Amino acid sequence: MNSNTIITIGLCALNAGVVLFLSPLYEGIMRKLRAAIHSRKGPPITQPYLDILKLLGKEDLRTARGVIYGMAPALALASVLVLALLVPMGGAPPLGFSGDVIVVLYVAAMSAVLVMLTAYGSASPYAFIGGSREMMMLLTVEPVLAVALVVGALKAGTLATGGIATWQIHHGPTISMTIAGIAFFLALQAQAGKLPFDIAEADQEIMGGPLVEQSGPRLALFKWTSWAKQLVFTFLLVNVFIPWPRLGILAADLGLSMVKALVALIVVALIDVVNPRLRIDQSMHYFARLAIASLAAVAFAVIGM
Amino acid sequence: MAIVGLSATDVTDRLKGRLGTNFISAEMTHPDTLRIEIDKRAVRAAADLLANEIEARFMVSTGTDKRPLTGDYGITHIFSLDKEHMYILVDCSVDPQDAQIDSITTIIPGANWSEREFRDAVGVHPDGHPDPRRLLLADDWPEGVYPLRRDFPYDYRPPASPEARPALLDPPPGASVVPVGPFFPVLEEPSYWRLFVEGETIVGCDYRGFYNHRGIEKLGDSELTYNEIPYLAERICGICGFIHSTCYCQAVENAAGIEAPRRARYIRTIMLELERIHSHLLWLGIAGHIIGFDTVLMQTWRIREPVMWLCEEISGNRKTYGMNTIGGMRRDIPDNLKPKLLDVLKPVEKEALAVRDAIIGDSTLLLRTKGVGILTNEWAKKICVVGPTARGSGVAIDARIDHPYAAYDEVPPNICVHDEGDNWARVLVRVEELIDSIRMVREGLEKMPGGPILAEIEEAIPPGRIGVSVVEAPRGEAIHYVLTGGDNRPYRWRVRAPTYPNLQAIPAMIAQQQIADVPITLGSIDPCFSCTERVEAVDVKTKQVKVYSHEDLVKMSREKTRADSGEAL
Repeated sequence: MNSNTIITIGLCALNAGVVLFLSPLYEGIMRKLRAAIHSRKGPPITQPYLDILKLLGKEDLRTARGVIYGMAPALALASVLVLALLVPMGGAPPLGFSGDVIVVLYVAAMSAVLVMLTAYGSASPYAFIGGSREMMMLLTVEPVLAVALVVGALKAGTLATGGIATWQIHHGPTISMTIAGIAFFLALQAQAGKLPFDIAEADQEIMGGPLVEQSGPRLALFKWTSWAKQLVFTFLLVNVFIPWPRLGILAADLGLSMVKALVALIVVALIDVVNPRLRIDQSMHYFARLAIASLAAVAFAVIGM
Repeated sequence: MAIVGLSATDVTDRLKGRLGTNFISAEMTHPDTLRIEIDKRAVRAAADLLANEIEARFMVSTGTDKRPLTGDYGITHIFSLDKEHMYILVDCSVDPQDAQIDSITTIIPGANWSEREFRDAVGVHPDGHPDPRRLLLADDWPEGVYPLRRDFPYDYRPPASPEARPALLDPPPGASVVPVGPFFPVLEEPSYWRLFVEGETIVGCDYRGFYNHRGIEKLGDSELTYNEIPYLAERICGICGFIHSTCYCQAVENAAGIEAPRRARYIRTIMLELERIHSHLLWLGIAGHIIGFDTVLMQTWRIREPVMWLCEEISGNRKTYGMNTIGGMRRDIPDNLKPKLLDVLKPVEKEALAVRDAIIGDSTLLLRTKGVGILTNEWAKKICVVGPTARGSGVAIDARIDHPYAAYDEVPPNICVHDEGDNWARVLVRVEELIDSIRMVREGLEKMPGGPILAEIEEAIPPGRIGVSVVEAPRGEAIHYVLTGGDNRPYRWRVRAPTYPNLQAIPAMIAQQQIADVPITLGSIDPCFSCTERVEAVDVKTKQVKVYSHEDLVKMSREKTRADSGEAL
């Protein structure tokens, strides 16, 4: 085993660890902020950790049998952790290679697909509706992410996420990357399942939708997945679209991107707290328009702006 | 065209002309109450004339077991001539040997539940009713047992018949069923809706409710006395309790010819408006919560707190004040409390205005409510909806103006009407009423005269008198009908809460809407199920179209336990 492999393994552990253990904290901060705007005291910021511990300790109840149904929660969390290895955090993505943008897009969709399969497997009408909403959201949000990353790929001339980030550090802000960044940020709101786009869960309409039949450890893993996912996408946003300044020291860069991610998530939480939920058709129109608007970024990128 | 300025004589003459020999008699039981007795065969003709030509508004029907008095059952359809400030009671006698009467639901769709209710409770069958399924009795209640008959003891428990099933409608071909309830996160009480959906679009629905029926009317006319009933009436609803106790007291006062003193009337007005303020703030919060806007929920409920405090200062309780009694009030609002009350109202008003501005300026909120859950003016009139649900569809009715009671003649409300009929219109109506109610409480406190708060009642209330009273609750008009009895209690006490007609409008409002719009549309009528439902719960849990009874579930659960313990062994 050479030193490169050891470094890669170390970086992998770092990325996965940061995502696993930082994401509940950020969720806790977002909850606290929400409570403050509600004029509530709110739960302690460590509550999400306690939620996970509590749920992991509960009985594992299943409403369906089947290998995929059984493994879905673990696979969902694992898919997000794999995604974390393809995303630049402090330094380059540990498992980055020259074409990983495409893999990022696929792996990013995996957890949503697993949630959908769980929903369809759990034989509840609410889960069924939630699953179909999840699919519609995925189909409209994913293109926005794709277009935003394609803009980066066009500008940097590479299909590597790390390459795009490096290009962005050296070249500074451009019109096309700014538009793409904004589009990516708006899609982040939906990826995080926050209002006005928490349509698939919609407690008040379909009682938590796809996850209505989930409880105990399975619910813990699904919850953890969604918090980790929102953090990974935020890291992707801050490190690809606003990576400045890059100090060149891993710890400092990681710390800086954690701070930036926190700021971005606070903005997400603020949007969440001042909006009611949209209907699925309204949200699809919104993202369709956003995808078309983000094509403008592609045009700018083509003409070199 | 409504005929304005119609007198009681005009109505009597026209009915006499139309019904001929089927017209029996007419009398004014109270200056604003015209009671007309007709032969039951002419009930459709009478309903047609009243609803379609005179444009009287159908309110509710009452079935009374009058066998001990006259040997017959009595069916009373109550109408309102809003502009003329008059109630019209159409009374029919039904021979127990032929216990049926023509249904008027074919003429007035809003009479649907009322007729099913008197069939369930008294056993007079509405002939030709389009949907004669059970309404208020539990599904395992035996056939032929009618709880509101005089010979039915209030505490009788009929034998259970667990094989009974609710008569549910089948979805149209190609549609699937999404159950909403009996227990559902945004419905704070049990109510069971079955939505028939294609994709996310609703193509029809079915309703089973009355899981919370508590037999309040039966208790009122078999166990309690006149003066005890106000406390029971107050417990009909957790939010508009004072409305029901006021409405009951007024109905008895009307029947007995008792006049509550001015000061008592002012106190009633102030308390009623305080209830409207806290109820509307509560509703705004719930409406926000339904569409995921919890900031609105938290903030409106925070603003609501001082109002609850006001109620506590006045009555000693946040809710269920126990202040009403027949002839006036049991508790005064002391004059030295006035400045304190006015002080508390100031910030409430300021914050309510801020909430109004925030809500009216919110584009996402507009997107979720505008053009959604439309109840057209035509259907609003047909189903005879009341309150903000009616006023949001351009039907300008308000019991405080149409049938003035308490001190509303001196502290008149501004009627808030919007024509769009969508959820947004209902939001606007309530927000405007909220602001207006704050003004009215202030005005009421300023104008309140001195004097006694309770009328002296020297004689016993004579039997056989009729009293009708309405109160404009936050959800719409509540009606209490009292027929006095001889044993210091009503012979018949009929309660109709505003949600009763409003719920019947839901199928029209959610047709062709998205699933996501159902909770907010249901919420937009501010439903109060416990008010609407006054006998006992059933244990039937339904999933898709397969029905599991309580027995099935117990059996399944026991089998599961056996299987699991078998595995463990």
